[in-house]
Parts: sequence; C-alpha cells; structure tokens
Amino acid sequence: MFTDRFLANRRGVELTSEERALLESAISEVRTLEPRTTLVRAGEAIEISTLLVEGMMSRYIDDHKGLRQLVAVHVAGEFVDLHAYPMHRLDHSIGTLTGATVAIIPHDSLQVILAGREEFARKLWFSTMLDAALHRAWLFRLGRLDAVGRVAHFLSETNARLQAAGLSDGRRFALGLTQSDIAEVCGLTTVHTNRAIRQLREADLCVFKSSLVEIIDAPALAKRGDFDPHYLYLAPSE
Amino acid sequence: MSDPRTTQPFDSPGVASVEEGHVVLDGPDGIAITLTIEAARQTGESLVAAADAAARQASDS
Repeated sequence: MFTDRFLANRRGVELTSEERALLESAISEVRTLEPRTTLVRAGEAIEISTLLVEGMMSRYIDDHKGLRQLVAVHVAGEFVDLHAYPMHRLDHSIGTLTGATVAIIPHDSLQVILAGREEFARKLWFSTMLDAALHRAWLFRLGRLDAVGRVAHFLSETNARLQAAGLSDGRRFALGLTQSDIAEVCGLTTVHTNRAIRQLREADLCVFKSSLVEIIDAPALAKRGDFDPHYLYLAPSE
Repeated sequence: MSDPRTTQPFDSPGVASVEEGHVVLDGPDGIAITLTIEAARQTGESLVAAADAAARQASDS
C-alpha cells in the first residue's frame, strides 16, 4: 500500500485499517519524479495534496536573486503539502531532492473521506502539526547551534524520522542529499558544511560518504547537536 | 522570557580558521560564516576599527 508509512510509529495516531483503506482509495494517481523536479510553485492555486511514497523532497523559498533556502525536508511516508488542503495555495515551493514516487490525493476526495470522521481528521491535523514542530526545531537549529551542531542535529533528526518510517536501522541510512543540500538546510556554506562533516567523522560520531550515513555513536551525535527527539512525537519503542 | 545569553553582547571571541582557501569564522554563539580572503580582510579591519571606536566611546562615558 502507498500509505503504509504514513504516521507509522507516531504516538497515538496510528491509522486504523479502515482509515488507511480510505486514504488509499482517495489516491487519484501515483507519479514517479526525477530528482530536482519542482512539483508545486509558491503562490499557485492547487487542488491536490501529495504523499511522498519513496525518496526525499523539500519545501523551499527562493530569494529575490533566485537563491534557494530549504525550509523543510520530507522523507517517505509524509505528506509534503497537506496544509494546501485548507490553504489552497502555498507560500513556498515543493520539489524533489532525489528521485521520488508520490501519491496524489485530490482535495475533493479528502473532503469526502474526512466527512463525519473527526478522529481521522484529527490524525491528519496531527500530521500538519508535526510539520510545525519540525519548523520550530529548524528555527532552534539555525538560531542556537554552531556549524557542527547544526549538521549533527539534522543527521540525528533525519535518522529518527527514517527509523520511524522503517528506512533506518538507527545506525545506517541512505541519504540522497548533496553536501550543498545539507548546507542549505543548515544555513551554511558548502565549505563550512564539508568541514563540519569532517569534524563529525574525526570525532567518531558519524560518517557521510557516497550518499550513506553511518552513525557511529548516536547518543554522542545527538548530544553534539543538542538533539532531543521529543518534538517528533515518536511512539515508545517496544 | 528573556535569556541574557541571547540578548546581550557576546563576551567570547569568534575563531577564524582556514578551509579550502577561504576564511571560516565560528562563533561566538551560533555564528558560522565563510568569507573570501578579501571579504575576511575587510571584515577584520572593520571589526578592529569598530572595536577601537567602541573603546574610546566607553572611556568617554
């Protein structure tokens, strides 16, 4: 099923089989996208929301010179723009970072499957509130952490999100981002990012090589990045 | 709630170092910037000049 990873391992919002079937039934189309493809441009009216099935995508804002700032990264199992359902247009653009598979859900269909199902609606609302929690964490990262800390925080966060989606074993995960992408996420230059990654490797905290992240010491990496996963609302591990 | 660490001037210096032919400045606090050689030189001169002026201002008050 395309929705298997949606809200997986999140506290108190696991979809029932009926809810998952409803969400699956609302999918109108499944698309495969090339890396670096813009799916939605800021300001354009949209009548669909997009569930990321495979790959990584970003929300981004271009400045007046056309320089891009990544304001969110999404992993498989997450809606990239569920907030478009009530808002009808976005204040940011959406694009793929890696090759991606997405499931398209028209807003008309969302309205139908949510009608009279307050608990289901609460779970989708939770999903957008989780986005807001991530934005707060990103503000904290950019405002309070040094260069190495920012990269450590981002890698710890991504590891936790991918682990919730079943795409990391907690020690190793595929990360199809370039150092330039990580630089944009962390508000650093590529020179600074390259050095921060090297310092994390030299400190035996983690290694990022050939699109693969290997975490050597997860607690120490989290400590270096001042990372506490409470804002991800993960289900307690069994 | 106001946190004096984020609303007061920093009293610890930043550390400049070299990376790939650029000047990398880390700190104080979360400052993390990379400058070209010329930008670093001009920033350094501007900082020293401003620090001298601030010292004069402090001694006059």
